[in-house]
Amino acid sequence: METYLWITSVWGIYLTAVVFFGGMAWRIYQWATTPKSPVRLGMFPKPKSGAGRFGKLLADTFIAPQSAKIEPTMWIFAMAFHVAALGAFVGHLRLIREFPLLPAWLGEAGMNTFAAWSGSIAGTLMLVGVLFWIARRTFGPYKNLSVPEDYLLLFLLLGVIVMGDHMRFVYGGVVHAATYREWFVSLLTFKPEIPAELLASNVGVSLGTHMLFTDLLLMYFPFSKLVHAIGAFSSNLVRSE
Amino acid sequence: MDSTQLTTLTGVIDKKMNRQLKQYLDICARCAICKDACHQYVGTGDFKYLPARRAELIRQIYKKYFTKTGEFVPALYEARDPDENLLDELYDSTYACTGCRRCMYYCPFSIDTAWILSVAKAILIAAGKGNEMLGQLADAAIFKGDNAEMFNDVMVSGFEDIQEEVRAITGNPNSQVPVNKEGADILYVALAGAHSIRPAAVIFEEAGENWTISMFEAANYGFFYGDVEKARLITKRYIDEAKRLGVKEIVVPECGHAYRVAEFFYEAWSKEPMPFKISHILEKVDQYIKSGRITVDKGLIEGKVTYHDPCQLGRNGGKFEEPRDIVKAVTDNFVDLTPNRAEQWCCGGGGGIVAMEEFKDVRLASGIKKVEQLKASGATVLACPCENCRLQIEELNEVHELGLQVWQVIDLVVAAMPLKGTKPTHV
Amino acid sequence: MSDETKIDLELDLKGLLCPLPMVKVSQNIGKVEVGGVIRAIATDPGAMADIPAWAKSTGNEVLQAEKVGGEFVFLVKRVK
Repeated sequence: METYLWITSVWGIYLTAVVFFGGMAWRIYQWATTPKSPVRLGMFPKPKSGAGRFGKLLADTFIAPQSAKIEPTMWIFAMAFHVAALGAFVGHLRLIREFPLLPAWLGEAGMNTFAAWSGSIAGTLMLVGVLFWIARRTFGPYKNLSVPEDYLLLFLLLGVIVMGDHMRFVYGGVVHAATYREWFVSLLTFKPEIPAELLASNVGVSLGTHMLFTDLLLMYFPFSKLVHAIGAFSSNLVRSE
Repeated sequence: MDSTQLTTLTGVIDKKMNRQLKQYLDICARCAICKDACHQYVGTGDFKYLPARRAELIRQIYKKYFTKTGEFVPALYEARDPDENLLDELYDSTYACTGCRRCMYYCPFSIDTAWILSVAKAILIAAGKGNEMLGQLADAAIFKGDNAEMFNDVMVSGFEDIQEEVRAITGNPNSQVPVNKEGADILYVALAGAHSIRPAAVIFEEAGENWTISMFEAANYGFFYGDVEKARLITKRYIDEAKRLGVKEIVVPECGHAYRVAEFFYEAWSKEPMPFKISHILEKVDQYIKSGRITVDKGLIEGKVTYHDPCQLGRNGGKFEEPRDIVKAVTDNFVDLTPNRAEQWCCGGGGGIVAMEEFKDVRLASGIKKVEQLKASGATVLACPCENCRLQIEELNEVHELGLQVWQVIDLVVAAMPLKGTKPTHV
Repeated sequence: MSDETKIDLELDLKGLLCPLPMVKVSQNIGKVEVGGVIRAIATDPGAMADIPAWAKSTGNEVLQAEKVGGEFVFLVKRVK
């Protein structure tokens, strides 16, 4: 178990960080150094002011109102997934340090309950979102549009989410944030260690597998269609050029 | 496939590469939200007309030859060579596309499929698979430009005939169709057909405009064909003429792509700033009506009137209100189509598809949304400022027995003007 | 000359607006043998320039382009 955790949740994370940040930097560098299209590719209606363009960029990227209008079902699932993923990301920041204010208001037990509820909701929404996408890709009349990359990403996401949910739902009451924080901060300070409490509990398998899928997903991220996470800002901005 | 051909075709992508294209190819999530946006996919249910699929064919080549992951693990992206199979599907999906960009409007990342397909056209042309008809039409236009003197007499004689018709309509024996008039304020770049010149001339003359016409038409089949150099040469004919005549403004006719080419594309093709103001004729007519330079009476147009936004003029050109204001000035009985403006359905006739007989079945099937919209509106008159749209809708009108009169907007205006002469029969 | 020329295909292009007359001639030229002749009658004056320009750029030959009353009559020979 200890070896598994050292591979997936220590050295694997270091490798992932290098590949992910290096890959994203490379991707952005490639986009930035390719000359812009000589033709203005904007469409109408088009905001006239810079502020208007910026507002439209934010609305188009974060809310996608046109997509909502044409396919509400897809929009709801996609929105639920992305908002839940953002929520999960914010929740994971507790790995670095405890949130300010919240624990003071809620107390330790209250904070654990809050984390349990918010984490469970986010984890469930993401799971539902990914299952919907898998079904939509597999059974839609346009299923031939999908390529192995699409399924690979969904598979990795499913692994991340299922194992994350497993930790949340099964071990949520056993191992708390402070223990995981001890492990994660040790990584950030380059003095990696795996706390005895993690090893003593059975959460190690879930954590290791959660991290294995996360490592693979994030290492592939910069080389996959997931770069829409940053590219969408630029391409949506072109819309009002 | 043989390596010379492969180098040629991947070289086309390399030459055409730019930031937008690269991002479009990198970020598409194949979420297929575009499926319901495309009139051709909705009308036929044929997978190859799904917008993301059209772009996917270019992506497959891009992945294999322009990305490391695609080079090492092509199977992950179904990355492949631009072989005969790929090129055959690409030909259908690319030349059938009307370039309406409705998919871009609904895409969460605003991916411009038509821009990706401009690369597809360049690839097809390099592979010797460019559409023959569009290529011939482009070449004919360039030939006319290079040999203008050869056609001078027949064209001038044609313009004189139109001038007689204009005089009959205005009832004014001094009405002119000025040809190549130096020092005019406006060069009106019409379509080759008399129908595009006659009503415009009536309006310009009645408005007291200092205008002229030249030998060259606004239609640009080089643009539809997908050859930037041919497209540039075709538009350059009238830009050069406008420079020679010393006009201040170029006015393009009721033609969708002509406006987009002049306003958005020509600067990029010619690599020089556009020296003239570009206006659409309906912007001018709207100003003439609002400023009282021409008079229109309501009540002269019978029936309920609706308006179709040509994609290149509306969603891609930004002229939503001027044409509507004109139509509302000539009738109180106006009804809009639903949806309209930026969400307007493409009629299915754009991108040169009306000239390509091989796509007739797809074209007519893709018009089903337009037919539903027109039926739902209950209108008996359709005003539509685009030649390709009108050709398509007139054919849909016959096939589906809609009983619709399809008018140019300027024909509606002339019919609503209180003129002394004889009313023109509607073309 | 038109009296002696054998016509292989008649095209009625009356009422069609430019550039459709040119499009129709182009679409139909393949239906006659090389050396065959199409007679096309159009009403749009733009065809008087369009059809000869098409013929020149595609390497075909316009034997005749005449205005007869309000109509334009073309004899187009397929050369290749």
